[in-house]
Amino acid sequence: MKFLHYILRNARRNPLRSVLTVASVSVCLFLMMILISFLSINDEVNDSVRIFNRIVTMSSQGFGQPVPIVRVSEIAALDGVIATTPFSWYGGKYNEEVMPFAQFGVDPKTIFTIYDELHLPADQLKAFQEDMTGCVIGKKLAGDRGLKVGDRLPLKDGAYPVNLDLTIRGIYDGPANRDLRMCMFNWGYLDESLKRDFGGRGSGNAGIVVIKCRNAEIMASLSKQIDKEYANSDTPTRTQTEEQFGKMFAEMIGDVRSFIGNVGLAVVFSLVCVAGNAMAMSMRERTTEVAVLKAIGFGKPLLLFFVLAEAVLVAGLGGVVGALGSKLFFDAFDVARYSAGFLPFFYVPWSTAILGLALSLAIGFLSGVVPAFRAAQLPVVTGLRKVV
Amino acid sequence: MKKGAKSMPNKLAIVLRGVSKEYRRDEIRIPVLFDLDLEVEEGEYLALMGPSGSGKTTLLNLIAGLDHPTAGEVCVRGQDITQLSDSELTRWRGNHIGFVFQLYNLIPVLTALENVELPLLLTSLSRQRRKENVRTALRIVGLEGREDHYPRQLSGGQEQRVAIARAFVTDPYLLVADEPTGDLDRSSAGEILELLVQLNREFQKTIVMVTHDPLAAQRASRILRLDKGQLVGDIAQSQLGAIL
Amino acid sequence: MIPLKYNFRNLRVRWVTTVMTVLGTGAVVWCSAILFGMVDGLQRSLNVSGDPRGLIVCRKGQTNETTSGVELSKAESIVTLDGIEHDEAGTPLAALEMTNIPVAERLNGSHTNIIVRGVDPESPKLRPNFTVVSGRYFEPGKGECVVSRNLSKRFKGTSLGGILKVGEKESYRVVGLFTAGGSAAESEVWVDRQDLERNTGNRGYASSVRLRAASLDGLTTLQQTIEGDPQFKLKAWTEPEYYQKQERSGLFLKVFGSIIAILLTIGAMFAAANTMFAAVSARTREIGTMRALGFSRFDVLISFLGESILLCALGGALGLLATIPLSALTFGISNFDSFTEVTVNFHLGPLAMTVAVAMTAAMGIFGGLFPALRAVKLDVITSLREL
Repeated sequence: MKFLHYILRNARRNPLRSVLTVASVSVCLFLMMILISFLSINDEVNDSVRIFNRIVTMSSQGFGQPVPIVRVSEIAALDGVIATTPFSWYGGKYNEEVMPFAQFGVDPKTIFTIYDELHLPADQLKAFQEDMTGCVIGKKLAGDRGLKVGDRLPLKDGAYPVNLDLTIRGIYDGPANRDLRMCMFNWGYLDESLKRDFGGRGSGNAGIVVIKCRNAEIMASLSKQIDKEYANSDTPTRTQTEEQFGKMFAEMIGDVRSFIGNVGLAVVFSLVCVAGNAMAMSMRERTTEVAVLKAIGFGKPLLLFFVLAEAVLVAGLGGVVGALGSKLFFDAFDVARYSAGFLPFFYVPWSTAILGLALSLAIGFLSGVVPAFRAAQLPVVTGLRKVV
Repeated sequence: MKKGAKSMPNKLAIVLRGVSKEYRRDEIRIPVLFDLDLEVEEGEYLALMGPSGSGKTTLLNLIAGLDHPTAGEVCVRGQDITQLSDSELTRWRGNHIGFVFQLYNLIPVLTALENVELPLLLTSLSRQRRKENVRTALRIVGLEGREDHYPRQLSGGQEQRVAIARAFVTDPYLLVADEPTGDLDRSSAGEILELLVQLNREFQKTIVMVTHDPLAAQRASRILRLDKGQLVGDIAQSQLGAIL
Repeated sequence: MIPLKYNFRNLRVRWVTTVMTVLGTGAVVWCSAILFGMVDGLQRSLNVSGDPRGLIVCRKGQTNETTSGVELSKAESIVTLDGIEHDEAGTPLAALEMTNIPVAERLNGSHTNIIVRGVDPESPKLRPNFTVVSGRYFEPGKGECVVSRNLSKRFKGTSLGGILKVGEKESYRVVGLFTAGGSAAESEVWVDRQDLERNTGNRGYASSVRLRAASLDGLTTLQQTIEGDPQFKLKAWTEPEYYQKQERSGLFLKVFGSIIAILLTIGAMFAAANTMFAAVSARTREIGTMRALGFSRFDVLISFLGESILLCALGGALGLLATIPLSALTFGISNFDSFTEVTVNFHLGPLAMTVAVAMTAAMGIFGGLFPALRAVKLDVITSLREL
């Protein structure tokens, strides 16, 4: 409004101070965006998979327990099931690197029907299905390591005592928030090797079973049906939607969540002190000016407004640079490839960036409160007293 | 108490009755003004003189509504301003008083034009009207062409002229000046005083000015002397020659 | 040299600014100290766990017991090898153990995996200072278990006398709580191995064999014997080696923590610089006076740099002190290899302290450098003329 130019000029009065404050706020917010994104990406991805109508069956006793492979075909025969696949985690070394990307044994005939958001050219799919020792890898993994169709991919020392000598038969692609760094191979190859070389020890384990349902409504009843079927067996199951399955993983991170929350609070506190200090220093230098404004007729509400607006503006600028800047940064740079397999992807969701911006505005407001009140309360006569 | 010589009956701009002021610092009370009575007519140009510590700035502050007296009434334009609350007084000042300070007290981050416009932002005038009024005021003080200069780009005399423009752009009832020439060289001081006289004579502005400078006081129509918080002399201009 | 007293006084005179800056930098140091305190806690638990004469035998190529499997007949024969230390009764200090990673529910309702270890009678002796601190040790065949005291604070059903439900089919009655010198065992639930075999139907294999060699030389021989077996490909890790391999989670935290610490330091550095710039501009006259009195540019530079370091040191000290209330806390961190939860005691160890000091020094030096340089660039006359 009509006072904007005065407020803006005040913010630019001591450019060094304003820049340093903006820098502090933006760096700290950048950090907070990283931390919060860790948590919110998980939530976002889990939300996004809802539409695929997939449910996951695992052993009710945890990952350590097997799910017999026969159940994959038993479940496939149930009404409402479009397709099923085993999803057996191998987790091996590639060229002495420990687990640089996820590796799973799957059913090549059904895997891309079930994960239909992932795309594979038809000829590559055919090649994958026809080659027992074939595998498909994600586009980003291929890019990271310069792998092409036809390259060998030897894996060893995984969860099973066999080594897998795989050949890349296809490179799949998909949306940015899916794991495009996986390697999926033929479950049958793993199983055959176990039977042939190790007397079958550990064979027949599907790991988990991923099931594509016809529609969203039957997911709950299907899950109950499956668990009921196997409740009295040696390996009872727990079936839940893919979304719930993902949330389960998130829960495992445990205390990291509350740690991030505490760090966030501490950082906000720190920034309020930093921005508040800068604002207080500025206002201390303007006591006469404040008194003059009061003399002319600017009342307390207006003075409060001037100070708070300036504080919010400066901190808000830090928010734009830090929060929005972080979003742009991680959209432009794929940091996941340097995470040694910990992160298949990383980005700052919009909801998080907006949260960061809002946080910066709140920090600005809080930092301005005390200086604003002091300015408003300053008796005119005190401020005008000539400093000799 | 002596009333200044009146040539025709004028309305009273300012009336003080039994006004005292003391400051408190912790337990110590410092009395500054003692039981003052004063009447100022509209259109007067009043100079307040006296040694340091005589209380002249305090008196000015009371008249301008910057402070409350410890005792007594201060009536401006017939209204007892001692009854007003802090926020009412602030609004009242905006409507009735124009300030000129010794150190100009312009906002350094605003241009001359924007500084003069400042008091108008408190009104509901449209942008265009505001700009018109500002240009008029700047023209009267003789600073056309310097509108976009910042205070640091102006000389002391020019800054004070901007300050004066700011003081009367809202057409206030009363102009109050605290040592307006205190920081200026001889010739700039002269220009400023000319301006004040012009405002008094051409625009009938009532002016109350605190000053050390006898030459400044000379331009006023009436001089009040204060010593140790009491009025000790009240000389109309016509009688000034006899004293000086 | 301008006396330090001058800096102290100035900090005290502008106490509001000092306090705000100290709080700002302190909060930042606090965050990093917490994170690295967790890393230190994790490190300590891994260090304590590594008995130099201890061996852990797993299947070759496995870095983790939870995915390893040693055939029972082979495992049993290992126990009879020469070179293993014996206890007073003449029993070899060796145990077959089986690990299971079921899902358990935390007190706050969320779920994660924990380690349920099926142990042999000798197992407690193979841990540092295994002590049952309340209740008693379990008796085999009765569905009983003992739980680490750390775990008992975090999971449902794990307090003394409680029933711990693991997965869907197993439940055990908690008859005792134990501590094990801060070692890895303090993230575990212990049951009798044969009970666990029965409950999970995992017969014929043990996850690992643990033993203690009678001497360090004998250790190497034992290793070679075990690994030399052509039929069963086994790996005999020394305990220190084995636990160092678990470092991956620690590594993740270290990297994560370092990124956090670096960014926070940079942020706080700007804040310290802000304060110091204001201090310099408020004191230009004093600076001019000091220079006129004969103090050199270098003296002034060092004085302001010193004030900046002092300011940040106060913040750092405050930040570290503020972690003390947390020292009693137990955290749960995921072990990314076994996907189980490791409970860690917060420990303000060498890493955390080093990080705190490094951050403080960086903030103080880099934050104060440019303001100090500005202070000395002011020439004497200008500063004396300053209003």
